[in-house]
Amino acid sequence: MSTRPLMDRVFSLARVALGALFIYMGLNKALHPVEFLKLVRQYEMVSDPFILNSIAGALPWFEVFCGVLLMAGIAVRGTALVLIGMLVPFTLLILKRALAVSAGQQIALCAIRFDCGCGTGEVLICGKLLQNCGLILLSGFLAKGLGRSFALRYTLFSPKDPGDSKPLMQSAAAS
Amino acid sequence: MVRAFQEGVIVALVGAILAFAANAFSPRGLKLSRDYFPKISQPAHAVTTGTGPSSSATNASTVDEQVLSRLKEQGLQAVDTPAAVALFNDPRRLQETIVFIDARDAEHYQKGHIPGAYQLDYYHPEAQLPQVLSACQNAEQIIVYCNGGTCEDSQFTAVMLRDAGIPPSKIHVYLGGITEWVKQGHPVELQDRNSGALQPSKTSP
Repeated sequence: MSTRPLMDRVFSLARVALGALFIYMGLNKALHPVEFLKLVRQYEMVSDPFILNSIAGALPWFEVFCGVLLMAGIAVRGTALVLIGMLVPFTLLILKRALAVSAGQQIALCAIRFDCGCGTGEVLICGKLLQNCGLILLSGFLAKGLGRSFALRYTLFSPKDPGDSKPLMQSAAAS
Repeated sequence: MVRAFQEGVIVALVGAILAFAANAFSPRGLKLSRDYFPKISQPAHAVTTGTGPSSSATNASTVDEQVLSRLKEQGLQAVDTPAAVALFNDPRRLQETIVFIDARDAEHYQKGHIPGAYQLDYYHPEAQLPQVLSACQNAEQIIVYCNGGTCEDSQFTAVMLRDAGIPPSKIHVYLGGITEWVKQGHPVELQDRNSGALQPSKTSP
């Protein structure tokens, strides 16, 4: 067995794990939207009630949707890009808030704990930032085309572009 | 990569439609047009008080003073634990001319509330509001509380009652909340209102 298919299988398992994580975090928030609403408000990024309520009410379900797509292996590259689009600004917001707390209360950044609204309760922020960086990196690999094994419908488009549709294992075997 | 971006747009659009639909159909969903946070206070993390303010407020922290000042601007009053206990022990409470309102959700209310308190979940008030409004209209004094500490739901509920036509002079916010009430050993009632399932006062003989 060549290393490329093996690597693809490893990334496919990572894709499933990432999907499961998003479903777990999304459901935690979706089942307690009021708590999530209060946490989102603490970031003070929006003041308009409609936008604030939309973020708190719809975003958790959106995460669950992305998680299901990743687990099933549907539209993987597009979903991975959407995850990057969510994770990067959220991570920056967490960092911004942590830096503000650090400066305001004279606490070392890595000693700060708060509930960042990520669906996992109160966490050490340094650990959360590292975890998010890992998730962004993994999403980047998926967006590049890894994780095609065990996918129901890897791409939504017809196989005009071989790079988009042909499973990586087949590509490797053919070469 | 262009296809991946196109796919991302499709995922985002379909996901957004489904997510808004899920929120609309969820019994715990949020009403998108409602302003859940009336302009009475700063976000909860900025209100770091852990105990109820004293009635004189002379020893209260700056944050306590800000909360009291904002309540006053709204025409509302705050009470501390001794005042809340005095109102609780007042015989008028049994005649429902003094009414306690618990602004927390059903899960927390069922685990323990001030005996006889009505539940009014600020975020999902529809089912309880008619009964609570009726009780408030007949009451002379209304005491609203939530968890205490950084919890602002009692303040928001007080504003909601005022906006529903209850005279603000009747409405008192117990900032110490259930946390302070329990901490000082006062009795709590489990499950439903007037269930009779009481956890006795720790300080009672």
